[in-house]
Amino acid sequence: MTSAARHAPTRSAATAGRRFGLTFNGRLMAPGVVILGALSFFPLAALIAMSFSRVRLLGGVRLEWAGLDNWERAFSDPELWRSWGLTILWFTTTLGVEMVLGVAVAVALSRLVRARGVVLALVLLPMFAAPAIVGLLGRYLVDPTFGLYAWMLQGAGLDGDILGDPVTAFVAVALMDVWEWTPLVALITLAGLSGVNPSVLEAAALDGADQWTTFWHVVLPSIQGILLVALLIRSMDAVRYFDVITVTTNGGPADATKIIPLRLYEAAFRFFDLGYAAVIGLMMLVLTIAIARLFVRILSGKGARP
Amino acid sequence: MPPAPAPPPFTRRRFLGLGGLGLGAAMLAGCSSPAAAPPPAPTPGEDLWRRFAGTTINFISENTAPTAAIAANLGPFAELTGVTVDIVTLELQSLVQRVALDMAGGQAQYDVVYADPYQVLAPYRKGLVDLRTLVDDPQYPPLDQPVEDFIPTQLRAAGTFGTDGALYALPYDAPTMIWQYRIDVFEKYRDRMARDLGFDPAPGPDSTWEQYHRTAAWINEHVSEVPYGTGHQAKQHDSLMCDFSNVLWSYGGDYFADGAGVGLTGSDDPGPCLLASEEAVEAAEFYNDLVGIAHPGSRGWDWDGVGAALRAGEVAMAPNWHEYAAANEEALPGLIGYAPMPRGPVRSANIYGGTGIGISATSEGARLGAAWLFVHWATSQATQLSNLESSVGGGTPTRRSVYEMPEVEAATSRPSDLPNMLTADAVTAAWEPDRIGLRPKIPMWNECDTAVFTELSRMLAGRQSPRAAMERSANRIDQIVSRGWVA
Repeated sequence: MTSAARHAPTRSAATAGRRFGLTFNGRLMAPGVVILGALSFFPLAALIAMSFSRVRLLGGVRLEWAGLDNWERAFSDPELWRSWGLTILWFTTTLGVEMVLGVAVAVALSRLVRARGVVLALVLLPMFAAPAIVGLLGRYLVDPTFGLYAWMLQGAGLDGDILGDPVTAFVAVALMDVWEWTPLVALITLAGLSGVNPSVLEAAALDGADQWTTFWHVVLPSIQGILLVALLIRSMDAVRYFDVITVTTNGGPADATKIIPLRLYEAAFRFFDLGYAAVIGLMMLVLTIAIARLFVRILSGKGARP
Repeated sequence: MPPAPAPPPFTRRRFLGLGGLGLGAAMLAGCSSPAAAPPPAPTPGEDLWRRFAGTTINFISENTAPTAAIAANLGPFAELTGVTVDIVTLELQSLVQRVALDMAGGQAQYDVVYADPYQVLAPYRKGLVDLRTLVDDPQYPPLDQPVEDFIPTQLRAAGTFGTDGALYALPYDAPTMIWQYRIDVFEKYRDRMARDLGFDPAPGPDSTWEQYHRTAAWINEHVSEVPYGTGHQAKQHDSLMCDFSNVLWSYGGDYFADGAGVGLTGSDDPGPCLLASEEAVEAAEFYNDLVGIAHPGSRGWDWDGVGAALRAGEVAMAPNWHEYAAANEEALPGLIGYAPMPRGPVRSANIYGGTGIGISATSEGARLGAAWLFVHWATSQATQLSNLESSVGGGTPTRRSVYEMPEVEAATSRPSDLPNMLTADAVTAAWEPDRIGLRPKIPMWNECDTAVFTELSRMLAGRQSPRAAMERSANRIDQIVSRGWVA
């Protein structure tokens, strides 16, 4: 076989690649990108089609054109907007508490000299529980008949059902989320802390900076990038939070915990109003993309800084 | 000559614009199912019960007492027919979801379906087989008792929709909400209560909601054996609508005009909602006051929660489904009594929660035949008696002939081997036409139900007045009904 014959397929592939404007790297990545694209694009296309349709189920799924009906309903539905407001409150509350607590726990762990491994393992334990189990655990602990926390609160004179009151129910499910996911923030932060340049810390100490000043002006700026990663991961989760609320309150009482993912589930899989659910799903998608782009832009800015 | 212009690049935007939407719609529209094949015909002289031996079918059911009993006692059916039945039990909402998706998929993963009349039968009846075609088919064994043996109200409420004459399900269970109370508490304090309150507090057919309220408040203050007089299933859940409906109907309110007809026969277009009526508002005001003096856990309990609370000695009385009697008797033997729900200004109303079992229209061939044999067997007189005797379940028979059996009649008083039958007097009274409470059998009830219990939950949380709760419920239901139903 001649050298030209051996190289013919390569030249042909290269020609095809050039035709589609693909570089060598692009050609290597193409199969994966095509599969990923298919997996993302087809459901998105179906979702958009459904949002303009009434969806029939019996005898096979069929779409009937409904124009902008579902979109009009969504934009004029006060219950849906109430859920959006609640979702934003949920998002800021849980994320804020988890970030502050996670950083505090990470700093405390980084200063541990003895038994750090054991303490770290204990701190990380909640993260390994399935969210549904966390919900069940929480529900049993606050049950007014036999719950340990409820019993302790009753002993302190605080009667009533924690999951039966709108405010305490919201706080309770938020705390369950905080309990489970603060360890993740702590773990990521701990990784960031280990990368802080010791010579900078030493210089700060020589300049007479106290611990708080060092943390605020030296450590925190050094780990901002990795904190944004933690924020990005948790924010994506917070927008589609579902399990714990479903197991504990199912959105109640008085819709006090019915954040958008629950309303989406309700529309799609309880009422089978799939066209309307598609609109809610697309709204969630837009919000998620907006949050992700915001954080990635901030993250890129930090990365570009010398 | 200038070069020909290059074709526009194939951008994401162009791709989406050209084919995406059409592709998505085509992909969804392609999920249709072929027509179901009939079961194979029997050979001459073949045992009609064993026609489908070797077949395996799936039964999906809510996790209720009769299904627990049947699941524990499938041996006789397997011996009789050679058919294997795999049972999936779920919480009702999950069941409805699975059934709807199964019917949409057209593959009949579930052959036999627990067809809740309000959440499965009404919206998805077109996905169920008309059982009359099988009842009258000589290729199947005849029913040991005729269809007319089923309690007539339950046969219509749980098995039919509209006036098309089709029978979509055979009544399978019959939970009905009744008044459950601690006998020992009432025996001990009856005289004191009567003296203080000015009426006989013993639960009975003539007791009123007003008396129930005052009795509960009295127990809160004077009884040390139980912390609270009453408990309610007032969680933001289907249970809250059920609990409230008893009061609503007893005060003369209703969801729609001809409420009894809409509940019994069903309707796709029930007309305007009546929840904003003065009777409904009065009922909501009373219910709000009642839950206000109930165990604080009430706002977080569904039917399981309030049942557990009664058995744990947290409350002295509660309205709940009668099928909890077996569990009550196990936890507090001889200590729980049963009566029809109290009367309001108009009547006593006991919400009916019975369900039938039907066959998915996508089931075909031998599986369709085997599914009918199972439905036949599971609703037969012998199986219903066997369920009653089960140590793991405790059925709620739907055939009149079962209640007339000597051993069943004997079990209606203590000591009883069939603890669910201890409720027989109460539920028999509850099923009388002027006492039974039937929620609207409309295809969009699931969403209407959610609107009602959400607004009630807001009321109980103090976020709106009873009047506002009723007016908002009526408004939301009207909007839901006006959109119609697409299945």
